[in-house]
Amino acid sequence: MSGEKAIQVLDLHKDFGDVYAVQGVSFDVQAGEVFSLLGPNGAGKSTTISMLACLLEPTQGDALVKGNSIRRDPMAVKGAIGVVPQEIALYEDLSARENLVFWGKMYDLRGAVLKERVDEVLEIIGLTDRQKGRVSKFSGGMKRRLNIGIALLHRPHVLIMDEPTVGIDPQTRRSILDSVKAFNRQGMTILYTTHYMEEAQELSDHIAIMDQGEIIALGTHEELVRIVGELDRIDLVINAESEQVMAQWQATEGVHQASAADGQVTLLVDDSNLVLPRLFESATSAGVRITSVEIQEPNLEAVFLHLTGKALRE
Amino acid sequence: MKVLDVALKDLMRSFRSLLFLFLGLVLPILTTGLFYFAFGGAAGGGEGFELPAVSVSVVNLDQPLARYGGFSAGQILAESLQSEELAAVLAVTEAADAASARSAVDSQEAGVAVIIPADFTAAVFDPEGRSEVEVYADPTLTLGPGIVRGIISQFVDAFAGSKIAAGVVYEQLAERGVDAGPMVLQTVATAYGQWTTGLDGSQGGEAGALFTVQSPSGAEEEPGDAASSVLSLMMAGMLVFYVFFGAGASAESILQEQESGTLPRLFTTPTPHSAILGGKFLSVFALVAVQVTVLLFASSLIFGIEWGEPLPVALVALGTVVVACSFGIFVNSLLKGTGQSGIVFGGLYTLAGMLGMMRVFTAGAAGTTGPIAVISLFVPQGWSVWGWQRLLGEGGAGDVLPVAGVMLALSAAFFVAGVLRFNKRFA
Repeated sequence: MSGEKAIQVLDLHKDFGDVYAVQGVSFDVQAGEVFSLLGPNGAGKSTTISMLACLLEPTQGDALVKGNSIRRDPMAVKGAIGVVPQEIALYEDLSARENLVFWGKMYDLRGAVLKERVDEVLEIIGLTDRQKGRVSKFSGGMKRRLNIGIALLHRPHVLIMDEPTVGIDPQTRRSILDSVKAFNRQGMTILYTTHYMEEAQELSDHIAIMDQGEIIALGTHEELVRIVGELDRIDLVINAESEQVMAQWQATEGVHQASAADGQVTLLVDDSNLVLPRLFESATSAGVRITSVEIQEPNLEAVFLHLTGKALRE
Repeated sequence: MKVLDVALKDLMRSFRSLLFLFLGLVLPILTTGLFYFAFGGAAGGGEGFELPAVSVSVVNLDQPLARYGGFSAGQILAESLQSEELAAVLAVTEAADAASARSAVDSQEAGVAVIIPADFTAAVFDPEGRSEVEVYADPTLTLGPGIVRGIISQFVDAFAGSKIAAGVVYEQLAERGVDAGPMVLQTVATAYGQWTTGLDGSQGGEAGALFTVQSPSGAEEEPGDAASSVLSLMMAGMLVFYVFFGAGASAESILQEQESGTLPRLFTTPTPHSAILGGKFLSVFALVAVQVTVLLFASSLIFGIEWGEPLPVALVALGTVVVACSFGIFVNSLLKGTGQSGIVFGGLYTLAGMLGMMRVFTAGAAGTTGPIAVISLFVPQGWSVWGWQRLLGEGGAGDVLPVAGVMLALSAAFFVAGVLRFNKRFA
C-alpha cells in the first residue's frame, strides 16, 4: 500500500423520499488495498456504490475518487473507476470481442491501444478462444468473467465490484475471488461489496460493516473481531420453533447474545464448554431437540450479531 | 464520435435481430403480396396487377322526358357502365327490374346491383328535383362496390353540374328577355355533361375533364390506373404501418437497455448522457431510414409500383421517417418499462396505424373519404399515409410539401417531449 487515498467518502447521505438509504457514511480507501462493504441486503451498500459510480447524486456529502469530486467532476471520476455491476450487463447478441471493443470505446480507448487492451483482457478472463462467440451462447461463468473484463479495459485506478458472487455456482465464485486477489496483487485498488462474511474476511485489508444505511464498524478483520473479545460463537440447529427455548437460552448464565433465523440459533457465549451443557438441559426441559452444534472462533458474523443483535443472514 | 459508436452498436444489434428483419422488412412486402395475389397478380403473367371485373346487374327504370327530345340521363349512365373503357373493370348485365337485380346480388350471381330510378332524368332538369341511384352490394365485397360507387358518384356529380349549367344559361337568357326552350337547356346540359365526363369520345383523357376512365389491363398501363393505384396505396399503408412499428420497437431498446443493466453501466463510463441517448436516437432514425428505403425499392421491383419523382418521394419518405421515429421515442418515454410495451404496441400502435390506414381502405368509397380522411389525421400515421396518397396521385414536390411540413412539425413536438422525458428520467 502506498498510503495515498484512492477514495475518500465524506459524510454521504442518500434519501429516497422518506427512506434514508445512506445516512452519513464516511471512510477512506487506501490505494492498492481491497476494501469491503459488508452488510445484509438493504444495508445501503449498493446505494453507496452507486453514488461513488456517479449513478446517483448524494442528498448530502461528497466523495473523492483519485482526488476528483463525484459532485463537481463526475467525468474524471468515471474515467478513474471500473464498475462491475451485480447483474450481468452485456450485449448478448454481440460477441465477446464486440462487447469489449464497444465498451473500450466508451472508456475513450481507440485504435491500436483499444485492440491491445481487448486482447489483454480476453487473455486475463480466459476467453481468447471464444472471443468471436455470441455472448448469448456463453455459460453463466463465462458471462461473469466478461462482465468483469469490461471493467478492466481502461486499467482503472479503482475497481468497484457490487456483490459479484450473488447467485452463482461455487466454482465460478472461487474463480471470481481468485481474480480479485490477482488484480489486487497487480496493484489495483478494489472496493468490494458483499453480504458474505467469509468473502470479506478472505479478500479484505479493511472492512466496513454496514447496517440500515450506516457504518457500524470499520477496521481490519483482526480489529473487528476484537470487538467481541474472547466470546465463542455457537450455532445450533433445532427441530422446533425457536421461541419455545430462546427465552431460556437468553437467560442462561454465560450467554451474551442470541438470535434465531430459519431454525438456526446463534449465540455468543463466554466459554462454550461450560455453556453447552446448560443449553442442552434447557432444550430437553422445553421438549426441543438439538440436531446440530457448531462452535466457532470469533468472526465477523459474531461482530455483526454483537453490534446489531441480529445475524448477517437475517 | 461516441454518438456514432452507440448508434453503430445499436444498428448492428438490430440487423442481427430476425424479429426486426421479419417485422420491418419482410412482413410489409408479404402483406402487400397477399393482396397482389388475392386480386390476380399471379395470373397476370407478371405483367402487373390485375383486378377481376366486378359483376354488375343494372336496371334502368328512368323515364325519358318528351319535352327534352326524349333525353334520358339514366340511359347515358347505363350505357356508360357498359362502355368499352370499363369493360375490364365491370362485367355488366341488364336486369328486368329492381327485385331481380337485388336477387342476383343476394344469390351472388352479381357483386353489385345498380338501380337507376324512374325520375332520374326529371331530377336533372327540375331545379327542385332530387333522385337517388341505388347501389345494392354484396356486404362481403369492398373493392368492387367501391369502384362502382366511385364511378356513379362522378356521373351524378357531372349531371348535377349540368343542371347548374342549364340553370345559369336559363337565368342569363331570361335577363335578356329570351325564353330558353327545353331543347336549348337540353343541349346545354348534354354538352356540359359530355365535357365533364369526356363521354363524347373526343374529350376523354384530355386536360380539363373532371375525371377520366381508363382500363387497367391495357397494354399501356397508366400510373393513374385504378387497380394498380389500390395496390400502391396498400403498399404505402403497409409501409407506414410497419415503419411506425419498427421505429417504436427500435426506440424501445432504450427501455430494454435500462432493464438489462447496460444503460446504467454506460452511465458509469466517461460518456456524457447526451452522447448515449443521442446515439440511441440516431440509430432509431438510421434504422427506419434503411427500412423505408428498402421497402420503397423492394415494392418497386416486386410489384412495379411507381412511387414518383425523386424529390417528392424523398420529402414524403423523410417526413415519414422523422415522424415515425419521434413518435416512437415519445411513446417509449411515457413507458415505465418493457412490461408495458406489449399493450402499447398491440393496442396503441395498431389502433393508430389502422386509423391512419383508413384512407387506404376507403379510398374508393364515395361518401366515406371525407370524414374518415379527417379522422385519420388525428394520428401521425394518417399524415404519412396522406403524403404517400398525394404522391401516388402524381403529386409533385409542391403537392407533398405541406404534408411533409406538418410531419416535420409533429416530429419536432414529439422529439422534444420525448427527449425531455428521457433526460428527466436519466438525470
